Amino acid sequence: MTNHWNDIENSDCVLAMGSNPASNHPISFKYVTKAMEKGAPLISVDPRFTQTSARADIYAPLRSGTDIAFLGGMIKYILDNNLIHEKYVKAYTNASFLVNPDFKMPGENNGVFSGLVENKYDKSTWSYQTDADGVILKDPTLSDPNCVYRLLKKHYERYTPGVVSNITGTPKDKLIVVYEAYTKTGKPGKAGTIMYAMGWTQHTVGVQNIRTMSIIQLLLGNMGVAGGGVNALRGESNVQGSTDMALLFHILPGYLKTPVASWQTLEEYNRKNTPATNEPKSLNWWKNYSKYMASLLRAHYGKNVTLEEAYRYLPKREDGQDCSWLTLFDNMYKGKFSGLFAWGMNPACSGASSHKVRQALAQLDWMVNVNVYDNETGSFWREPGLDPSKIKTEVFMLPCSAFMEKEGSITNSGRWMQWRYKAVDSPGVAMPDGDIMTELFCRLKERYEKNGGPLADAITRLTWDYGVKDGAGRVRHFDPDYVAREVNGYFLEDKVIGGVLYKKGTLVPSFGLLQDDGSTSSGNWLYCNSYTEKGNMAKRRGNEDRSFIGLYSDWAWCWPLNRRIIYNGASVDPDTGMPWDKKNPVIRWDGAEWKGDVPDGVAAPGAGRPPFIMKPDGVANIFGPGLADGPFPEHYEPLECPIEENLLSPQFINPTIVRWDEVGTGTSVDARATCDPRFPFVCSTYRVSEHWQTGVLTRWAPWLAEMQPELFVEIGSELARLKGFKNGEHVMVKSVRGEVEAVAIVTDRYKPMKVAGMTVHQVGIPWHYGWVTTNMRKYVHGDKVPEVFTGGDSANLLTPFIGDPNTGIPESKAFMVNVERKGV
Amino acid sequence: MIPKKGMIKSTDAFERLVHWWLAITCIILIITGLGMMFHSFNFLGTPLGGLKNLKLVHNFTGLLFAPALFFAILIWWREAGVFKMPEDLEWIKVAGGYLWHVDDVPETGKYNPGQKAFFLAVAIFGILMVASGLIMWFPLSLPSGLVQWMYPFHALGMLVIFPFVLVHIYLGTIGVPGSARAIFTGYVTRSWAEKQCPGWLKEMEKEGRLEIYGEEKEEAAHG
Amino acid sequence: MAEKIKLYDTSKCTGCRACQLACKQWNALPAGQTYNTGTYQNPPDLQSNTWMLIRFQEMSNGNGDVKWLFRKDACMHCTDAACIKVCPSGALFRTKYGSVALDKDKCIGCKECISACPFDVPRYDPVTDKIAKCDLCFSRIDRGMEPSCVKACPTGALSFGDKDEMIARAHARVKELGGDANVYGDQFVGGTHMLYVLTEKPSVYDELPERPRVPLTVIAWKDWFKPLTLLAAGGVLAGSFIHYLTHGPKDTSGDDQAGGEGGE
Repeated sequence: MTNHWNDIENSDCVLAMGSNPASNHPISFKYVTKAMEKGAPLISVDPRFTQTSARADIYAPLRSGTDIAFLGGMIKYILDNNLIHEKYVKAYTNASFLVNPDFKMPGENNGVFSGLVENKYDKSTWSYQTDADGVILKDPTLSDPNCVYRLLKKHYERYTPGVVSNITGTPKDKLIVVYEAYTKTGKPGKAGTIMYAMGWTQHTVGVQNIRTMSIIQLLLGNMGVAGGGVNALRGESNVQGSTDMALLFHILPGYLKTPVASWQTLEEYNRKNTPATNEPKSLNWWKNYSKYMASLLRAHYGKNVTLEEAYRYLPKREDGQDCSWLTLFDNMYKGKFSGLFAWGMNPACSGASSHKVRQALAQLDWMVNVNVYDNETGSFWREPGLDPSKIKTEVFMLPCSAFMEKEGSITNSGRWMQWRYKAVDSPGVAMPDGDIMTELFCRLKERYEKNGGPLADAITRLTWDYGVKDGAGRVRHFDPDYVAREVNGYFLEDKVIGGVLYKKGTLVPSFGLLQDDGSTSSGNWLYCNSYTEKGNMAKRRGNEDRSFIGLYSDWAWCWPLNRRIIYNGASVDPDTGMPWDKKNPVIRWDGAEWKGDVPDGVAAPGAGRPPFIMKPDGVANIFGPGLADGPFPEHYEPLECPIEENLLSPQFINPTIVRWDEVGTGTSVDARATCDPRFPFVCSTYRVSEHWQTGVLTRWAPWLAEMQPELFVEIGSELARLKGFKNGEHVMVKSVRGEVEAVAIVTDRYKPMKVAGMTVHQVGIPWHYGWVTTNMRKYVHGDKVPEVFTGGDSANLLTPFIGDPNTGIPESKAFMVNVERKGV
Repeated sequence: MIPKKGMIKSTDAFERLVHWWLAITCIILIITGLGMMFHSFNFLGTPLGGLKNLKLVHNFTGLLFAPALFFAILIWWREAGVFKMPEDLEWIKVAGGYLWHVDDVPETGKYNPGQKAFFLAVAIFGILMVASGLIMWFPLSLPSGLVQWMYPFHALGMLVIFPFVLVHIYLGTIGVPGSARAIFTGYVTRSWAEKQCPGWLKEMEKEGRLEIYGEEKEEAAHG
Repeated sequence: MAEKIKLYDTSKCTGCRACQLACKQWNALPAGQTYNTGTYQNPPDLQSNTWMLIRFQEMSNGNGDVKWLFRKDACMHCTDAACIKVCPSGALFRTKYGSVALDKDKCIGCKECISACPFDVPRYDPVTDKIAKCDLCFSRIDRGMEPSCVKACPTGALSFGDKDEMIARAHARVKELGGDANVYGDQFVGGTHMLYVLTEKPSVYDELPERPRVPLTVIAWKDWFKPLTLLAAGGVLAGSFIHYLTHGPKDTSGDDQAGGEGGE
């Protein structure tokens, strides 16, 4: 989230699209309700009429996977009716930038942008016109046909309500009602917010879905303001935190890039990753890249080794190597892995095309399953129908502590780092993850010290000061407080900066003070300031709000620098420093300094510094050349869809996606079935309030299991009538990759839609279930036997093994299935 | 209360057994019923170890009450279940001479209309009590619309039976001396019979079916 | 002590069921094996171990629009509580907050309250031979806390407070909502201590009586027959006594040889 949960309350219009916050982020609805009480309309756009829709002022259905068409239509509506926040757009976005005249857009280029070679773009035409000094040429009047604004208008000229309605299945009048309601927030002083979740990301155009909305938010001047922003509702309590800490393969902590083989030296690595700009007034914050990398290396290795050595120790990807989820499991499926730590993960249920994942696990020599409970991953070898004696994988189960059995921090969707305390001891031999890792590390280190090995120093020289050490220098008990401090970072030597002396061993107060000379450490520069000499900021529980817009700046801590609303430099008039919205000011210039939230990127009013300082040019990107699939979002059909053509262009699907079905193994797990009469219905997976992820924590919780005991599939009443299904009967949901048994919930909340003149039915299925239940466990005397057992297997047995070209996130929100009576 | 020579047999052993079986269960039901009907009588459960046990006693006594009621109806419905017109009407007109002075109380058979009314009350409302009580015992197995009505019916039964029982006790003991003997020993004095059921006495004498204590049973005596 | 009301505003309920869970948690009610029967609603009905549940109901109107109604079903805590009226043991009682609570020790499992309740709330537990129902978290409100369901509600659909304030709030909300919105609970059974703000007419909701009242059967039983019984029995006793004094026992003695008064 660019903003945070409480801030939704400040919104003048809440759009919930690609999300069902009422059900899946129930607490968020506290703030949605508050906004509604103040008169903000709630708009729910969803293929299925959800709990959110039930509360919404406006509900509009759409076909899964057509969000770009829907939102592209909104962009056209904004531009046609001149509803943009003009001053904002001109000052804070690249709308006025002149683009390379050779740049071609899908409307004039067979549905693709210029530069497509095979399935990759050569982005050389996705560039700006510059003057002799390399400064980008701009047209402040936004009239040059090559300026971003004009190109945008041209690009979305094709997204007429008629075409959009034909693609999305949303009735035209509903489209207009939504556009009208939301675009009212383009008025200065008004803010609209978007709450999105996996309904937007899990598509082959996932990133572009969000880009489309970002463009809308920029056009309407909704970024950086209270009640605005682009807000990802995370699917897990600490997804934000784990992403910040390098959950993904391509980033190191703090969104630094993982090194690749061709970046042999630290200097080269920094050079390749430090962006440059010729814009005279841009701050280009990433120019500090090398400081953060140096501090990270220091956090890893301390002063035991030189920065250069430390960089050398870091594992490096091959150039262009993709290690995202799908590729990883594809490689595992092909036998390229010998071992796996499934740590707090249940890929056998959570992975797209779970049959492939389950078969991939059988290719391993060993697997360590670290989890609170046994799950389908740890027990994959005993899945009904499999012969365990034929499976070579040796599986180890390491029971670990649940969240309430250990201490540490969680970073929520709103970037708040909140400290949690241990409530109860772990049962049996279960240990906190930190202790398990410490034990693993110590044994690895001992082994490397004794036996040596390739790059042994990379392990043996790591610092591991995460607790009180025993005589042998080994950490006895993992203490997250030590980690929190290391994440923040220390001065490793006495340092004078700006005339102030910072003593060796003290905590660095802010990332502005991190150095590239090795004199500071920081495990994650974004979190520098989270643990200062005043203490652990995440433990703060001040509940006073001095801001009047619910910032609660003394509650816990928020990255970066406790800034609650990022890009807030754009919430004020660039000339006066006065907030666009006088009632809900995020920051305000009082003549001498900024008041309110920690200001983001702004210099004194009138100084002309563009506030989007994380962008080299200092402005937000309406034209976004950074992505793999185009600088403007373009509608493409999902890999599996019910219609045979893309009504907007000859290019049917996203041309840049990585495909397995054509080049892969040729087995059913990678198959796809688009416009295939065997699989006529569009299907989405989703979640319910009562269960969490693959249900490993919640399916064992009787109170929750009681409320949602079985896998179900929601089917529209009309479809049920056509197929002769009765409510509550067991049916089989089949895709070309697999099938699951589910209870049919026949509902009026799914309605058939008219798409390209055809009637399209859509069904939906939650993915929380799995075949492992405690029912099959042996109980000894005194064990508490759960009162409820759940039924059903993972809906991911159906989902396609295909992902977004930027992130690799699988397309589990739009695929094709059939539903049949059981036994047919 | 040993019968004396010359007394007239008015009840046989089975009748007396059924009467007391019915009487005792009825009184237990009334007392335990009262214990549940009025919070101020909740204390009646205390000697039984709580209201829950009182409820059990009530319910199971009800099961014993039912067969007694069945036999009572079987035995008495002919003699006490049918009004004989017009003499019963005449009797009713003067309230049997119980409430004000009546020179000439119309003659009645073995049971006067008052007694008949009591019998009918016990019979009809007794059946109602058994039926409604059983349903109230297992209310969840029947539709609640039906069950709901059982409670007022049960209460109505109480409203009818309880005062009648009190009247019955009064008149069967101190109100009409000599009555109790009939249901303890089976015999009444001739004079009691002349006063209480002259019609019956005359009829029995006429038919020669009268059994007199100390005398040989006559041929025509009914079994 | 001021009477308290729990206000439930259906227009703010999202059916997340945090309340249903919190109820089980605070009251330590076990879960039971359930199955999906074609609805989110589970357990399917109130149970002795489920004192409240959210009812899910779909409503389609002619023009193709659909509504999804959620209703929190639990004890309404009537002022004229039929259950208290019929409870033989005094197990069901009115608290000083106006709510209807249950003293489990006193319950004799007679189930009379079950058929008396106009809202079909009390449930019988055959294991303990007692009934069970929501007691508006008496153990919490008596310590100055709000009921656990209210505490858990994320959206403010549930609130708890003084009677007058809650009734006023409910009416204000209904005014704000307009349309078919209505306050449900203050106009019958002497006023309930769980008050609904309904977005639809009461008749629309499943299992919700349109005009709930203490059943006629309960009134007949408790308000008519019960005092009449007392009156009749007392009258008979008194009448007999007076009769005995004024009339004396009936003279059944005669002059025959077997004579002699009764009552030897």
